[in-house]
Amino acid sequence: MNILLQDGFFAAMAAVGFASISNPPRRAYPCCAILAAVGHALRYLLMNNHVVAVHIILASGIAAFAIGILAVRLALVAKCPAETCFFPALLPMIPGMYAYRTVEAFVLCLCHSDESTFIHYLYHFAYNGFTCSIIILGMVVGANIPIFLMKRMSFMATKMD
Amino acid sequence: MTTTKTCSEIGDFLSEYATWLWGCGATCIRLEKNVRRMAQTLGVEIDMGIMPTHIYATVWRHDRSDCYTVVRAMHKSAISFDVNTQLSKLSWDLADGRCDFEQARRMFEHIKQTPSANPWLVLLLASVANASFCRLFGGDAVAMLLVFVSTLCGFRVKQMMLADKVDVRIVFACSSFFSAVISAGGHLFSWGSTPEIALASSVLYLIPGIPYINSVSDMLDGHYICAYSRLMDGIVLTACLSLGLCCGLVVMSMKII
Repeated sequence: MNILLQDGFFAAMAAVGFASISNPPRRAYPCCAILAAVGHALRYLLMNNHVVAVHIILASGIAAFAIGILAVRLALVAKCPAETCFFPALLPMIPGMYAYRTVEAFVLCLCHSDESTFIHYLYHFAYNGFTCSIIILGMVVGANIPIFLMKRMSFMATKMD
Repeated sequence: MTTTKTCSEIGDFLSEYATWLWGCGATCIRLEKNVRRMAQTLGVEIDMGIMPTHIYATVWRHDRSDCYTVVRAMHKSAISFDVNTQLSKLSWDLADGRCDFEQARRMFEHIKQTPSANPWLVLLLASVANASFCRLFGGDAVAMLLVFVSTLCGFRVKQMMLADKVDVRIVFACSSFFSAVISAGGHLFSWGSTPEIALASSVLYLIPGIPYINSVSDMLDGHYICAYSRLMDGIVLTACLSLGLCCGLVVMSMKII
């Protein structure tokens, strides 16, 4: 439970910081923090449990879908577009280590001409690159689907009552 | 009110509104919905072609007594969800009758003047965010500190170069290079127990998330040209940050894997 709370806390910190780069209205910050904490903690829970440990690709997709649904609801409270809330919340789920290992393996591929070593690093490049790309694709599709499923609600968030 | 306005006045306003909405990072579906909502209220029909660099719009009256076609270049500005929110609210204000056309035009001019957030505060928040990011990947306190410093330097480089109107691709490569070189210090001097995580997360503040997310949104909405354009923007920027990271690794002669 402690790990889960820590995970959520740091995800919220990361989301608020990254949100500031894209200039959101101030009232959107708490929503970004809540969404990031819930999304990242959910992914952690899906990947690290004793019942069924879900693969990172599926876990990221499910967590992003949950973020998307919550974002549409919270956007109505914050009176701002749903994407303002969910974009920073997705960032803490970016598979940074996979991305780094892809670049690292690419550099090492170029540094080695010996066939077996080259193939070894090419395997690392392809494995990490594919995994990273599919995770990101799953995340952005998962988060966008709720906006299209709940179109009416999604585009009424900025309407004043 | 609406009958006194010509199609050219309405068309100019709506097309400029659309270019600003695109510039601040809105998706095609939002752009179309907002513009159509306002056009309906103003008593005109509108059809638009949204291209990555231009917008084509034709506005006409139902009885075909007036018609106007305009082509306008997309407004280039930094992503701002604050402007996006204000512009979306403006479309509802006009649609719900809380303001008339003249007031909407004045409000639009006011929204255009929206100042960006304090750059020093953004710098600090982004650095703290990236350090938290490092923690999420399992980095220790030393790695977090290293990422905080490397992000602080890299992000400041980005802000200064963007202020000097340097090409954004060069900016991404340079910022990533600076951050990678600084965080590679942890690897070289064996600071902490997770120097690799520090190095990996030091450049992640540059990931162009909005182009990727908007690209998928446009794709789901059937705007394939815009989706492809945004995807390519994201890929090019990611390639530039990877280039900076590669150069940083090579310059610091990292013994990796």
